[in-house]
Amino acid sequence: MPDNNTFDAIVVGSGISGGWAAKELTEKGLKVLLLERGKNIEHIKDYKNTTKEVWDFPHRNGRTQQEINDYPHLKRDYPLRESMADDNWSPWASDKDNPYTEIKRYDWFRGYILGGRSLLWGRQSYRFNKWDFEANAKEGIGVDWPVRYDDIAPWYSYAERFAGIQGTKEGLDVLPDGEFLPGMEMNVVEKDVAAKIKDHYQGKRHMFIGRSANITQPKPEQNRVNCQYRNRCWYGCPFGAYFSSNAATLPVAMKTGNLTIEADKIATQVLYDKDKKKATGVEALDTNTNKTYTYNAKIVFLCASTFNSTWILMNSATNIWPDGLGSSSGELGHNVMDHHLKVGAGGTVEGYQDKYIWGRRPTGVYIPRFRNIYDDKRDYLRGFGYQGGANRGRGLQVPEFTLGAELKDALSEAGSWSMGLGGFGEILPDHSNKISLDKNKKDKWGLPVLAFDVELKENEIKMRKDMANDAAEMLEAAGVKNVHTYDTGYAHGMGIHEMGTARMGRDSKTSVLNGFNQVWDAQNVFVTDGSFMTSSSCVNPSLTYMAFTARAADHAVSELKKGNL
Amino acid sequence: MERRELLKMIALATGGALVGGELFFSGCKSTGGPVTFTPETIAFLDEVAETIIPATSTPGAKAAQVGEFMKVYVTDCYDADDQKAFLEGVNKLDEACNKMHGHDYLKATPEHRKELLVSLDKEAKTVQDQRKKAYDDFVKAERAKGNILPIMDFKNPVASHYFTLMKQLTLLGFFTSKTGATETLRHIQVPGKYDGALPYKKGDKAWADSI
Repeated sequence: MPDNNTFDAIVVGSGISGGWAAKELTEKGLKVLLLERGKNIEHIKDYKNTTKEVWDFPHRNGRTQQEINDYPHLKRDYPLRESMADDNWSPWASDKDNPYTEIKRYDWFRGYILGGRSLLWGRQSYRFNKWDFEANAKEGIGVDWPVRYDDIAPWYSYAERFAGIQGTKEGLDVLPDGEFLPGMEMNVVEKDVAAKIKDHYQGKRHMFIGRSANITQPKPEQNRVNCQYRNRCWYGCPFGAYFSSNAATLPVAMKTGNLTIEADKIATQVLYDKDKKKATGVEALDTNTNKTYTYNAKIVFLCASTFNSTWILMNSATNIWPDGLGSSSGELGHNVMDHHLKVGAGGTVEGYQDKYIWGRRPTGVYIPRFRNIYDDKRDYLRGFGYQGGANRGRGLQVPEFTLGAELKDALSEAGSWSMGLGGFGEILPDHSNKISLDKNKKDKWGLPVLAFDVELKENEIKMRKDMANDAAEMLEAAGVKNVHTYDTGYAHGMGIHEMGTARMGRDSKTSVLNGFNQVWDAQNVFVTDGSFMTSSSCVNPSLTYMAFTARAADHAVSELKKGNL
Repeated sequence: MERRELLKMIALATGGALVGGELFFSGCKSTGGPVTFTPETIAFLDEVAETIIPATSTPGAKAAQVGEFMKVYVTDCYDADDQKAFLEGVNKLDEACNKMHGHDYLKATPEHRKELLVSLDKEAKTVQDQRKKAYDDFVKAERAKGNILPIMDFKNPVASHYFTLMKQLTLLGFFTSKTGATETLRHIQVPGKYDGALPYKKGDKAWADSI
């Protein structure tokens, strides 16, 4: 290393994308600095709530009024709970230290720790299909992806093999198979519902185990043990059974001897040399001392999470482009996407009283998209998939106004089975859904914050009717009783699948990044988190970030060797 | 069983969602302040809880220190209105007992205690029905106005009935206590495998609720 502050590459952010970038670049021999704005988390040692039981928490994992006050954004949904916000384990970003402006309501749930939301994700891992990459061009929505399924398929395989994705091969165009570890089992009720759906829809709709990044076979080369069915993933897994940066990519990167991690450092801008039209490094602020550091590198990977990578770009090279590096197309900060949800159906299942469940499975079932494919045509574009499952609860058969021993006995036994399906819908990229810098509001460190002007549009609102009704129809077809639909309302961001704001495209006039995730205006800057997404599909996006990050890193090193960067 | 199943069970048993802390639309309510629970109040609440979930072949609510749990939960998780409803309920419960049986709750026989609480359960249910209707009407009106967002700023005009609160916290406190989860229910920290067709016969214990 020439000096303390000069590296071959800087990776900003340590979540799923940043971890992959660090792994790929260090394995290819580059000296890499990884900047993380949150605090250091040591795998296993720092998972301090992971073996606690509910009775170890004074409020039994409820939420206190204090927590509600402390987290004005996070409180809006399930992530805020006692065991995720105490002195031992508070992986979610402080809403107070990190405010943002809501021109319209935006629920932004951030993980500012080493590992980011790779520690907090739902682990669902699906490939985009070939239509996902073609739809924008065909339908005249946004811009065309500069990438097709065949370009990315080998990288999906590469990512799956390392991360470890359990799942079953189904042979479907709509949800391509991957390189899977043995799939987890559906339970007895799910198996029957799946068979009935297949039968009723004559093979046009499918239900199978949700593919997830929980390993079902050990990976001794990564020191990872297979899933123990505790379903405590959000507390960090002491077995390393689910894929996180901390369990998988960062240890591999560390082993190369090429990785330096600097936690508690907010990357505030990419440093840009206008003569060379390239970045020269990154400026970062120490969150404890407020001291500014300058780091130099040949290439920069922005993996700071969707809106934060764009925030860094907006703060960079403003002497040349007032709206920041990558803003020359007019698309930086635009086309915010997520997956819309909180809509579906549920019901009770009769029978199966002699069957129960052993183990807490960390995934549910999945029903891939069936709308607007092949000969199906709706009054909206794109579609949705479902996640859900069957569970045997208790207390469903207790007569009203029962108290005492009778109540206790009834609630101590297994009750009825129930089955639910929740939709995950695609959101179209729309130029008017945007984030921008609010220079009048500052965070704890005096940095300008983001302002959100994002809402659900007509296409998605129309889709939600089908998302509720189709779920109910399938459940009824499968013999589920007391089926009821629900739509409890959705605020943008609740999917915690933020995408867009620095989309890739084929033309520098209409996109921020090229087909290898390089900023058109500074080709040694790569953005490989959800910011690059040109459209959102309806499947969970993290696996796609892994694949594109690995591909971009491969391209970066090859270009570096050719002397092109 | 997952936590959401526990919350569903409590909602079913008490005719409405768990009050305090779990609801996502608690934003505009007034935060609760410090409240006083005397040792006598905690002992009283233990006796109420014990009637709802008594010791049988396994320990009951009193052994699970549900009274103490209620104090912690009401103090830290309830808003001011629910705190008021809960604490006033301690006296109201005694008044109702005097009316029904002619003496204080603590002096009542187990049979009289249960008779009283069943009648309060019925009374509470009618209040829960009103609360549910008020909420449903509010949501319907918001949707009619074109609001597609999750409801965040709702304050129910119908106050909670104290017995609903006591029953909810008894169920929550008991089944998430160590004795409730491991003696009345069963719990395995590291299941190690998954079996989705585990044989079950009536009377087998249910799994404790996961965190």
